[in-house]
Amino acid sequence: MAHMNRRLHSALMFALPLFGLLVFWELCIRILHVDARVFPSIEAVFTAGLQSVKDGSIFQHVAASLGRVAVGTVLAILVSVPLGVAMGLHPVVSEFLSPLFRFFSVLAGIAWIPIATLWFGYGFGAITFVIFNAVFFVVTYNTLLGVSSIPMPLRHAAASLGANGWTLLTQVILPGALPNIVTGVRTGLGFAWRGLIAAEMIATNVGLGYMLFLARDFYKTEVIVFGMIVIGLIWLVIDRLVLAPLERATIERWGLVRRA
Amino acid sequence: MKLLQHIWSIYLRSTARFPALRSFVPFIPLLIAWTLVTELAVFPRVFLPGPVDVVNAFGALTYKGVLTQYLEDSVVRLAVGATFGIALGIPLGVLVGLSDRVRQAVWPLLLFFQAIGDIAWLPILLVWFGFSLTTMTLVIVYTILFPIVLNTSLGVRSVSTDLHRAALSLGASKLRVIWEVVLPGALPNIMTGLRNGLGYGWRALIATEIIVGTSGIGFMMFDARRAGSVVEILLGMVVLGTLWYVVDSWVLAPIERATGKRWGLVTQ
Repeated sequence: MAHMNRRLHSALMFALPLFGLLVFWELCIRILHVDARVFPSIEAVFTAGLQSVKDGSIFQHVAASLGRVAVGTVLAILVSVPLGVAMGLHPVVSEFLSPLFRFFSVLAGIAWIPIATLWFGYGFGAITFVIFNAVFFVVTYNTLLGVSSIPMPLRHAAASLGANGWTLLTQVILPGALPNIVTGVRTGLGFAWRGLIAAEMIATNVGLGYMLFLARDFYKTEVIVFGMIVIGLIWLVIDRLVLAPLERATIERWGLVRRA
Repeated sequence: MKLLQHIWSIYLRSTARFPALRSFVPFIPLLIAWTLVTELAVFPRVFLPGPVDVVNAFGALTYKGVLTQYLEDSVVRLAVGATFGIALGIPLGVLVGLSDRVRQAVWPLLLFFQAIGDIAWLPILLVWFGFSLTTMTLVIVYTILFPIVLNTSLGVRSVSTDLHRAALSLGASKLRVIWEVVLPGALPNIMTGLRNGLGYGWRALIATEIIVGTSGIGFMMFDARRAGSVVEILLGMVVLGTLWYVVDSWVLAPIERATGKRWGLVTQ
């Protein structure tokens, strides 16, 4: 019971500043008489939200955006983790290749939008390519780093205790590299999500980024603000409720670095 | 095989003498592969020009002064954004880190606004300020600000209370504690935040230059896309990648490592 109360209390403390922001917003609009074309009132945003729920357009945009992210990310992880592990196993190979992957992970994401739209045309292909690209290089580079940071004595110890290749891979190398892999996925997804919004503004006719950019053409600030809130909430859920706890858990369970 | 082994041994020997080579030599096989792919015409040349074409385009655009002008525009925008971001972010981060009350009040807002992300602000900023420099600068400041604030407050909180008390009991004023205990203690985190922030900010810059589109490397790439000139897009990517690679691995990463070593609390 006390535990429940504490959780409730901390949830309330978290919600309070956000509620304060809403009050501040409403007061600003009322007192300063802000033009609806500059910034919408809470009511207008709420109505716009309700409207898009009613006609189902918001679900369409969210589904399109999330679908692109899911396809691009899953494909990228499926390719990059095995590749990163394979390259990281041999210290000489990983040392030779890491500048290359560093270069491309530095470039990953938005900088590929122009060429992606040229190669794949506007639409699903180009956007998924940008997301794939943002996740792929960052995760490969991090997996490479993670695998090559496993101390050699650990691998030798497991091998001399009779572990064969497969056991070594699943019991030593993958768990050892997991914190890095998860960190890589989190960073990569961060770039991918931003890249998605940017790419959708440029190169498509459905999705959250497109919804925002279309509303801009008609000065519909209430739709823009509603879209921003949706984008913020989705990322908050993905990052804070899924990725960050996952990262913390893997680091606690398998991490080699500890805070002094 | 013999030849390859010979080349490999030369590589190992020379990198042992000049470690800087390690960040260049791996690109040579990549360039060779790229040349081969284009020479064998695996993809139509219009879609994937070779390295030589890109170098030629580099020469031509530098000669016309377009490339240098655009590069200057992009770098100046990033620098202005970073300056404002640091000037706002570090004090705010220290405040959030030091005071529990401020932290309670601001933390949820910080998380929420960080989650909205830079580029999502672009449409409404365009409504407010039009296709102008203000819009671009605001997007970049916004992007750089949050990683710095979040990391600074994390760093400030990682300085143990014992150190505060020790300094205070030795007669240091509150300001001096902040200046000589809190800030140095938080410096490794601040540097990490700056590095992350610049990484995001630089991507946001490309996106805004593509969408707002008046000048800059991002604009050059998207303008080339409209004209269907893949060479200039590739050139833009190479310039961006090289520039950021050099800045990140020769400036930011060493500073981060050095501050980590000097003031860091993390041990292996």
